[in-house]
Amino acid sequence: MISQKDAPGTKIRFKFYKKDEYKYLSHLDITRMIIRALKRAGLGVKRTLGYNPKPRINFSLPTPLGIESLAEYSDVLLDGVIDADRFKKRINLQLKPQTQVTQAKKTAVETVNLMNDIAISLYNFELKLYSSDERQAERFCSEIKENLKAESDFSSSIFDLKIIRDLENANIFFLKLFGYAKIFKQGGNEFFKLNDFNRFFKDWLKDYNIGIVSVRKEELFVIRENMLKTPMEVS
Amino acid sequence: MGKIKRLNFSLLENLLKDVEKPGRYINNEVGTKSKYPEIDGSASDLVFMAIVFPDIYEIAMSNLGLQILYDIVNKHKYFSAERVFAPWVDFEKKLKENGIKIFSLENRIFLDCFDLIGFSVQHEFLYSNILNILDLGGINIRSEQRKGKFPLVCAGGPAVANPQPLSKFMDFMVIGDGEETVISILEKVRIYRDDNKQKGWFLKEISKLDGIYVPGFYKFYYFPDGRIKKIDPANRIKKATFKEFDKSSIVNDPVVPNIKTVHDRFVAEIMRGCARGCRFCQAGVIYRPVRSRKAKSLVDQIAAGIKNTGYDEISFLSLSSSDYKHIEYLLNRVTCCPGLEGLSISMPSIRLDGLRPKMVDLIKSGRKTGLTFAPEAGSQRMRDIINKNIKEDEMLDCIKMAFSKGWEKVKLYFMIGLPFEADEDIDQIITLIKKITVVARSSFTGNKPSRIKINISINAFCPKPFTPFQWVNQDDADSLDRKFKYILKNVPRRHVNISWTDPGKAVVECALSRGNQRVGEVIEGAWKRGARFDNWTDFFKSYIWEEEFDKAGLNINFFTTRGFSEQEILPWDVVDIGISKEFLQKEYDKSKRCSGNQNKI
Repeated sequence: MISQKDAPGTKIRFKFYKKDEYKYLSHLDITRMIIRALKRAGLGVKRTLGYNPKPRINFSLPTPLGIESLAEYSDVLLDGVIDADRFKKRINLQLKPQTQVTQAKKTAVETVNLMNDIAISLYNFELKLYSSDERQAERFCSEIKENLKAESDFSSSIFDLKIIRDLENANIFFLKLFGYAKIFKQGGNEFFKLNDFNRFFKDWLKDYNIGIVSVRKEELFVIRENMLKTPMEVS
Repeated sequence: MGKIKRLNFSLLENLLKDVEKPGRYINNEVGTKSKYPEIDGSASDLVFMAIVFPDIYEIAMSNLGLQILYDIVNKHKYFSAERVFAPWVDFEKKLKENGIKIFSLENRIFLDCFDLIGFSVQHEFLYSNILNILDLGGINIRSEQRKGKFPLVCAGGPAVANPQPLSKFMDFMVIGDGEETVISILEKVRIYRDDNKQKGWFLKEISKLDGIYVPGFYKFYYFPDGRIKKIDPANRIKKATFKEFDKSSIVNDPVVPNIKTVHDRFVAEIMRGCARGCRFCQAGVIYRPVRSRKAKSLVDQIAAGIKNTGYDEISFLSLSSSDYKHIEYLLNRVTCCPGLEGLSISMPSIRLDGLRPKMVDLIKSGRKTGLTFAPEAGSQRMRDIINKNIKEDEMLDCIKMAFSKGWEKVKLYFMIGLPFEADEDIDQIITLIKKITVVARSSFTGNKPSRIKINISINAFCPKPFTPFQWVNQDDADSLDRKFKYILKNVPRRHVNISWTDPGKAVVECALSRGNQRVGEVIEGAWKRGARFDNWTDFFKSYIWEEEFDKAGLNINFFTTRGFSEQEILPWDVVDIGISKEFLQKEYDKSKRCSGNQNKI
């Protein structure tokens, strides 16, 4: 008899988003939703052995409630052999437009746990300047790196940040913030806590007459040979 | 329907900031079926019904009745149903602060824009929430003051079997099964609207249907002491019975909640009604007659349901699942059906004499869920009085079986304050718990006996309308408290957890459930003083209710500790529940005879 452990399986890594209404669902709610969608799609998930068998599926770190995310990741071990494209099509039919899988690929069955592997989260803050004073804009652009990255309470939790000005609307800025999602042994870094940062940042921006329009999780990165790679780029 | 007003998404987003569990207020669950209210920008000619479950999302979405009605209405071409639930206190505050009326989940239609609003009322402690929701919808709570043609407001469910306490607030009420009645009502609503008929015409028309009580058509005359002298007219409302239950299908594509709910699983209602005649049980009477679905077609429908929902747990629902004739066949088939592997099975309300070894094995094959039993009373004499036909040996055998098969915990329900109860009966509850603990320990096969848990839930008996005990006086709060403390003091500590509901709550529950029309004022007064979510211990304030009874010129004891005379006209006599008063009286007499059986203690 072939035990469940030896039966052929396929490990799929997939990326999905949650937006609109679904950003108000918690990580556990989305997890449950994905597991049910897999079941409806007839994609059998392998289960752990033991007293209370659980589906063998892992998810990347939770996104805070109310934050849109374009970069949720999951690794799932499926029964049988299945092609990644077919997987994507089948699961998307079972998901609402507010959550859809954007990429999927086969990975080695023994991969590093996603939760532990993710090193950096990239957030996009859309910011609006409520003044036409160009000097204020310039001051903001130059001070954000020094003050926020180098001197604030969050300096050890921010890996990097970039400011991009909207080409069409000069009052709109995009802050691309790379926050730590992992503690490094040598680094002396801290976890980037979005909710805490948001509270602080809102206040900090007042000085420049700037407000936050929206926040979105844009990408997650792992580190391979000193390079940032997305989870889809590694296996 | 007049102009449909809807809340837009950005305004909803504003409300959702800093709200606990915002997932309660969003839509787009799998399985939602309501129709879009507009065609090319103008209102469609659909009849819109709001199905209101006056509790929070997590509880509302665990209710099967809601899913059944939602399914039936939305499968109909001309009708659309949307869900409205009670907002939690934080969200209520937000609505009020922003001057926004309560709205439905699906298309965020404001409550006062619906043609028909139907409340599903599962227990008496939801009465205050009903008034609150109407008010949050900008709708006058009193039926007589709603002069417009729409919305029409009605209520159904077990807690309106006695329709009187809510009668001031409802245009009409539905007694009995809702499956067929809801469609008959909506058909009349459609004519009422399209042919521009008068409200009087509409109420007259629906009053011809089974199960419809129009409070405005009845007048109550009282004696000075508060008893009812006369109900005019004397004709009674015949409960609606869904006769096609056996042939009807279960809901196999229910709405699958986005957030975790209390009972987050697929539900198959295998049987409606209960053949046992426990004398305290209202459900046993109001859900009569016993009807059961065929096991073979259930298996197919369940397979479809699991495929449609993606659930990994199923519950076989009925008032007494182990009494279902083909339960073993059903369990067998469901556990070996392809596509249903690994499904956890839960069986609410298994009788202690109904658990069979085979069943235990089958239930165990999935994830283990808890086992819950209701011995109700400790002594054989008391079990005879309440007609709970179960012997102590049978119970102990069953506990033995469960623990020898690897179970680690059971939950047991007991009642105190039952009619003719003596202190010896209370002692017997303690003795029985002790025996159960000993049997559980000795038959336990696991490695860690410390994991054995016997959870005991003790509830105060509350005499309910339409039961053989409807005339009985309720035990007073002090006596209930004394009995509970005695049990708590004398029950073994090891393995046993005891929970208990506040006797003050049992008193108010009884007064509301046996209440007359005048109790409506009490509900209104309590709601105005902030009563809501009364089933939540943190919110329930018995003094508010007691004071409001006084303010309305009523004595709460009149409805609780007073024994009703068998000749008295009862507030719920306006309803013909399908069982005669003579039968109930005979059953009551039988219990009186059992009470003399001292040697059986």
